[in-house]
Amino acid sequence: MRKIFFYSAGMYSRLLLLLLLTACCSSAVLAQDSTAAADAPVAKKKQYTKNTFVANYIIDNQTVMVPVKGTFEFDINHRFGTTDHGWSDLFGIFGGANMRLGFSYVPIKDLQIGFGANNFNMQVDWSLKYAILKQTRDNSMPVSVTYYGNAAMDTRERNSSINIATTSDRFSFFNQLLVARKITEKLSVQAAFSVTHFNNVDGYYDSAKNVLPSMKNTHLAIAFSGRYKISAKTALIVNYDQPLTQHPTNNPHPNISFGIEMGTSGHAFQIFAGNYGYTLPQNNNFLNQNDYKKSQFVIGFNISRLWNF
Amino acid sequence: MKTTLIIAFLITAFAATAFTFKGNDDKKPWPVPDAAKNKKNPVASNAASIAAGKELWSTHCKSCHGAKGLGDGNKAAQLKTEPGDFSKSDTQAQTDGALFFKISEGREDMPSFKKKVPDDEDRWNLVNFTRTLKK
Repeated sequence: MRKIFFYSAGMYSRLLLLLLLTACCSSAVLAQDSTAAADAPVAKKKQYTKNTFVANYIIDNQTVMVPVKGTFEFDINHRFGTTDHGWSDLFGIFGGANMRLGFSYVPIKDLQIGFGANNFNMQVDWSLKYAILKQTRDNSMPVSVTYYGNAAMDTRERNSSINIATTSDRFSFFNQLLVARKITEKLSVQAAFSVTHFNNVDGYYDSAKNVLPSMKNTHLAIAFSGRYKISAKTALIVNYDQPLTQHPTNNPHPNISFGIEMGTSGHAFQIFAGNYGYTLPQNNNFLNQNDYKKSQFVIGFNISRLWNF
Repeated sequence: MKTTLIIAFLITAFAATAFTFKGNDDKKPWPVPDAAKNKKNPVASNAASIAAGKELWSTHCKSCHGAKGLGDGNKAAQLKTEPGDFSKSDTQAQTDGALFFKISEGREDMPSFKKKVPDDEDRWNLVNFTRTLKK
């Protein structure tokens, strides 16, 4: 069975653009609402729940948090090799690693834009995160809802061993809607539904010489995350990601991850173990072949440094 | 005579070097505008406010000012200005408005927390917590 590449048209690129435009339009509508509120004679300022999460990340997923306007953030995401080789590579720490260096900025209230570079397939990524709804203290809004989307480009030089024929083949997209609730001062939970799209997937010839895709281009998944504060600056964090789409082959495995988060005035640190070994959510959701049943976990960390301008 | 000279020299040397042993500069007075000084604290000093203030203290203040505000945080020695002992009257005698001003505006080593702690209520919570540091 000879592998060839198989790609679909960029209709999902147009869908992403539509989603992004919708997010921007929502921002404009909210601006109008706040102006109207300011004109009202008795305008009580809405009190939002604080610190549902204290970082942009919860292990491999995003959180509903968008930092305050003017925040510039530098992120280091690092994932070591799998732990199942034991001491021979110090449980993956001396094995291969995936890493990402990312930057993000909040130019206007509740909107964050980001850029990152990843060593896996030399991908670069651009992202956008918008806090659509925020949980209020009086429970008139019981949850926070945030949209996160990104596009990633495989920037490797074209050669015969890489399945890149056109520029469109290089792109993948990830869109996610996050819904979270701060239940108590110590406990926050989040659910997130995502759509991953790869413009290009591997294909193969069947016995009748027909070209078949090894996977579908679009993949749906759902994730559940939780954070439990154990001291003023430290919390336990957990994640479960469940793939929803069934593919012809190479079905990605679910992810279980758990770790510790520590926060200071200008930094957030997370150290954890999980099955997801990539630094981009589309790669994790679409390509993860680490199986928790085979103890294929990966140790990793996220470091974020925040500046307020 | 020789002994007297040696003793006089030692006393002079000790007196001269005594002022170099201090790690931080002398505290400069920090004037606060009247409008800021007289600003009323709108946040009641209840358990919830103090708990919120304590958490913010732990994240933003403890590393310099210490867990109990004694000026003994692990970064204190690196600072140009002594972070102060907040248990004493020279801090506790200041108005809530003055403390709020200093937290918000900052000065030299002390950062401004207007952006890091953007909600006014949170900075008033810090003021309420600071009051609990009094001995």
